[in-house]
Amino acid sequence: MKPIVQFRNVTLGYGRSPVISNVSFDIYAGEFFGLVGPNGAGKTTILRAILGALKPLAGDVTIQSIHQQPLCFGHVPQRDTIVEILPYTVEEVVIMGRYRRIGFLRRPGHADREIARASLAHTEIEDLRNSHFSDLSGGQKQRVLIARALAMKPDVLILDEPTNGMDLSSRAAILSLIDTLHSTNKLTVVMVSHLLDDVANHVQRLALVERDFFQVDAVGNILTGENLSTLYQRPVSVEHIHGNTFIRAEKRHGTA
Amino acid sequence: MALHDILMTLLQDFPLALFGSMLVGALCGFLGVYVVAKRIVFFGAVLTQISVLGLAVSFLPFVAMSHTLTSLSLTLAFALVVARLLAGKTFPQDAVLGIAFVTAIALRMLILQVTPTVEVAEIEHLLRGDILFVSPELFFPMLATSVLVMAFHLLFFKEFQYISFDAETARTQGFKASVWEMFFFGTTGAVIALATHMVGDIFVFGFLVVPPFAAMLMTRHVRRIFLLAMLIGVSAPAVGLFLAFLLDLPSSPASIAVASLVLIAAWLTHLIRHR
Repeated sequence: MKPIVQFRNVTLGYGRSPVISNVSFDIYAGEFFGLVGPNGAGKTTILRAILGALKPLAGDVTIQSIHQQPLCFGHVPQRDTIVEILPYTVEEVVIMGRYRRIGFLRRPGHADREIARASLAHTEIEDLRNSHFSDLSGGQKQRVLIARALAMKPDVLILDEPTNGMDLSSRAAILSLIDTLHSTNKLTVVMVSHLLDDVANHVQRLALVERDFFQVDAVGNILTGENLSTLYQRPVSVEHIHGNTFIRAEKRHGTA
Repeated sequence: MALHDILMTLLQDFPLALFGSMLVGALCGFLGVYVVAKRIVFFGAVLTQISVLGLAVSFLPFVAMSHTLTSLSLTLAFALVVARLLAGKTFPQDAVLGIAFVTAIALRMLILQVTPTVEVAEIEHLLRGDILFVSPELFFPMLATSVLVMAFHLLFFKEFQYISFDAETARTQGFKASVWEMFFFGTTGAVIALATHMVGDIFVFGFLVVPPFAAMLMTRHVRRIFLLAMLIGVSAPAVGLFLAFLLDLPSSPASIAVASLVLIAAWLTHLIRHR
């Protein structure tokens, strides 16, 4: 299988300070790829490099074309990067996903509205079309942002901490939606999370990310107690029960 | 003075004051929606002070540029440098703006103290601007700038909206967020510099904040917020000037008071509607 994203000996950082050094990995068309690590490990930095928003300090990031067209990424950012003071409706937010394709000096047309509505239907929030984005729950906002990413007609869906700050039910619903988009729509999905449970039972391949630790492999090979204990610097156990993976941080001796 | 007489006096003797303040009110109302939405209200206050500092600098004996050009150059340079600093996230936003604010005021006072040739009161008058004494030399550059800035913002309305709502995703879609931010700070800086010289810092800052916030309380439709902010920006100075003549009040504070009354009415209506 041909990789669509290639990292070769890449060092990433801001200014001259490296956040993550000398990483190499590939992402393949059609796969569900996860990036997991503690807060501040550099996961979002890697995403920004994939998206072309951050140039590497060293090494090469290669993004392949599909059918002679540049790869299109549908980005779902962390919700706290959005400025919600102006009361945009859900439909207005989703149509923003069309702005790049619409181009300068042109307004969204009928076709763009149809695509936005289809994206809303895809994420099962058609009924929220005229609601205000700022009035929605965390789970609903996440669906709107996924719908906006789908309106970009992406080859790759990139999600940054999509379940952050959600209750159990909303988390399960969002992960199920992402699973459906991957399996039914054949979208390549790259998901970043600091919540191991979220990615362990959904992605096919996983990168464990920390400043001095970077490892990529199939989920079954990489999610071992040894790897996770090294990553989180505390005892971690991994259990597989009825096809599901359960991860638990053990108590340290002598700690509460 | 009869109401008709006041209207005729305003239209015949102070047309540039009337139309100039309405122009600045509308433009500040429009740009102020972004200023409030981007949570950079303090930035607006700082720009007005930098603009006043620019006017003060133009009184220094070794500065050969005109008052307007000096103020415009300094304000634009500051807006673009600070936009760059704030985008980098290396420096805390409040600290950068706070330092700029207090430094601008201190420098202005020092410059006034050491300027030998002109009466301090005369300079202070110029620095503070005065709606009633808007000259054609100030009005027409302001009019031309307003037309250009509005045309630019309307042509690229969706890009400015996207960047102010979600710069991160816009950037990943190929929009150069830093360039659009520069355009925003540049156009806002130019308007603030010219407007401050024409109608004063209090008026400009007041109309950057009050009409947009009142509009946000009145409607939950983004385009209508921009329209309402401009409408309040146009009408409040007209009513303010009228009241200033009628009640013998200073014109800038009267205009801001009218806009603030609209804001209070909008807030009360908002409270009643959401009880």
